[in-house]
Amino acid sequence: MNIYLIIRMRSHKVIGIRNLTSSTYVIRMEKNDFSFKTGQYITLGFTGSIDRREYSIYSSQNADYLEVLIKEVEDGLVSKKLKRCKSGDMLDVDGPFGHFSLQNEELQTKKFLFIATGTGISPIHSFVKSHPELNYSVLHGVRLEEEAYERDSYNKNQYILCTSREKTGDFHGRVTDYLKQNPISSDTVCYLCGNCHMIYEAYDILEKQGINLGPIHTEVYF
Amino acid sequence: MKKIAFKTLGCRLNQYETDALASQFQSNGYELVSFDKEADVYVINSCTVTHQSDHKSRNFINQAKRKNKDSVLIVTGCMANNAKDELENRDEINYVVENEQKSSVYSLVDAHFNGEILHPSQLNTDLFSYGSTNKGFHTRSMIKIQDGCDNFCTFCIIPSVRGRASSRPLADILDNVKQNIAKGAKEIVLTGVNIGRYDFKNYKFDDVVEQILNLEGDFRLRISSIEPDGFGDKFLSLLDHPKMTSHLHLCLQSGSEPILLQMRRMYTLKKFKELIQKIRAIRSDFNITTDIIIGFPNESEQDFNATCNIIRELNFGHVHAFKYSIRKGTRAERMPNHVDERIKTKRSEILRSISEETKSNYRKSFIGKEQYVLVEKTDGLNAKGYGEHYIPIEFAGQNIQKNQFYKVLITGIAAGNDPELIGEMIQKKDA
Repeated sequence: MNIYLIIRMRSHKVIGIRNLTSSTYVIRMEKNDFSFKTGQYITLGFTGSIDRREYSIYSSQNADYLEVLIKEVEDGLVSKKLKRCKSGDMLDVDGPFGHFSLQNEELQTKKFLFIATGTGISPIHSFVKSHPELNYSVLHGVRLEEEAYERDSYNKNQYILCTSREKTGDFHGRVTDYLKQNPISSDTVCYLCGNCHMIYEAYDILEKQGINLGPIHTEVYF
Repeated sequence: MKKIAFKTLGCRLNQYETDALASQFQSNGYELVSFDKEADVYVINSCTVTHQSDHKSRNFINQAKRKNKDSVLIVTGCMANNAKDELENRDEINYVVENEQKSSVYSLVDAHFNGEILHPSQLNTDLFSYGSTNKGFHTRSMIKIQDGCDNFCTFCIIPSVRGRASSRPLADILDNVKQNIAKGAKEIVLTGVNIGRYDFKNYKFDDVVEQILNLEGDFRLRISSIEPDGFGDKFLSLLDHPKMTSHLHLCLQSGSEPILLQMRRMYTLKKFKELIQKIRAIRSDFNITTDIIIGFPNESEQDFNATCNIIRELNFGHVHAFKYSIRKGTRAERMPNHVDERIKTKRSEILRSISEETKSNYRKSFIGKEQYVLVEKTDGLNAKGYGEHYIPIEFAGQNIQKNQFYKVLITGIAAGNDPELIGEMIQKKDA
């Protein structure tokens, strides 16, 4: 018997599904004995199916359930099927994976800036729910205001919505435009989660604003 | 005496595992023969990291049974995991053994010749229960410290075929190293899939390195392939230890920041460059070798040029470049803008030319300097081996012995695209 090989794939029962927009939804599952560090991701698929996708965990590491935030991809195989799942369905969870995590020693002492685009807000939501005492600001870039997924989860004056296709957000434009116009102090710890272009550009801007390379953490969404 | 032949494809971890299996078979009375000879058992330790690896693995499977139709053919390694159904349906293959059971191949063959047919799934699944490699193929003694990877780079199939990251207990590693040193090993090479992520009961990779370096004995330590994100300042501080060799294979994969992001690598180009600067501040001639993937989806001419530039700038001692190929089930498979094969081939040729020039320049910088060479082959008067920078060196002398260190003055360089350094023996290390 192999004492080192840990089989992590487990079946979790779906508790419910919450539609946030016509294409974006949250699946809540039983947590069972699954544990993770906020910011990590899982791979998810229907039990018995070989088709799996990676999703950051949306819920708090302290919650007694497990949630993922999913956007239905137009020609997607898995996200479309998952959208149709119902309470009682079984999903296979593998993980947790990833190193996009908060550092324990910084939780009480540092000022955080969380920058996300679209559903890249998912691990940020988990950060804030897991550590509500954090000194943080969230910069969330979306196209339309309706994509400000569950913005009530964040303290009102700590969440800035940047909308690029309409003027209904707190700032009209991309998160990178906001960063250029609103430089941040160099002692800020930054976590970036979203598409490659945003991360690449934001990284450059933050560096020019004096943020050292060390305190910038990134997670790419596709 | 039964004869066994091995064919190993792919990474150093596979090489280590083959070495350990070969040693076990030899210790149990088998004669090791080369793969092109007739044998009673053929073991193909396959690779599936690229399309080309699959192709080569299939070719060797085809060749094996032609030598002796009554032989036992075993296919193991990553292709056995990734294409298990396909391989199990091929009549010429007797057993398909996944990586998890690879360490038990001897038990399988032993049972087979005793008339007992085991299904590979019945075998022991310990990832680290390989024995010593003292009778294998290499002078260097490889030590497996870790298996699997949780990084999930978008191009990579390895997490699917090698499984999740798993670390070998530190005490087992140290025992294994001590045993190999006691048996005469002069060079210890750490191996695994992602060794920088070693994590066992709060012991990290740098703890493993430190504790091995502190062992007694006349040996040197080489780190094989390592990801650039998995270690910190403590590891860097160990690089100037007298037993540490001056070589790291740091996998860069691309010189373009946007491509690195799309590959979901765990570092930026700037961080990689800073790391190289820190290493070369410790030893200015440190040999850094690397892997490059050519033609990843969305790789533009600008991205490719950035890769060419960084190879020149960082003066790599060797670049292992290969064309991107789709691995089923990876995130990159579903990316748009896959690069045309003809463009990949053209870029490969350009990159090969640059990397050969860089390699040659790097190696020439050793002319006039001294190296400690561990002899792998010798006829007593001429010898071949590797210096502490992991550069092949050929030198002349008197009474040269295999598996001994010699101080060698480098006097020249051979021709070719992988030129050996030429030297003259100064003295045996212990003299």
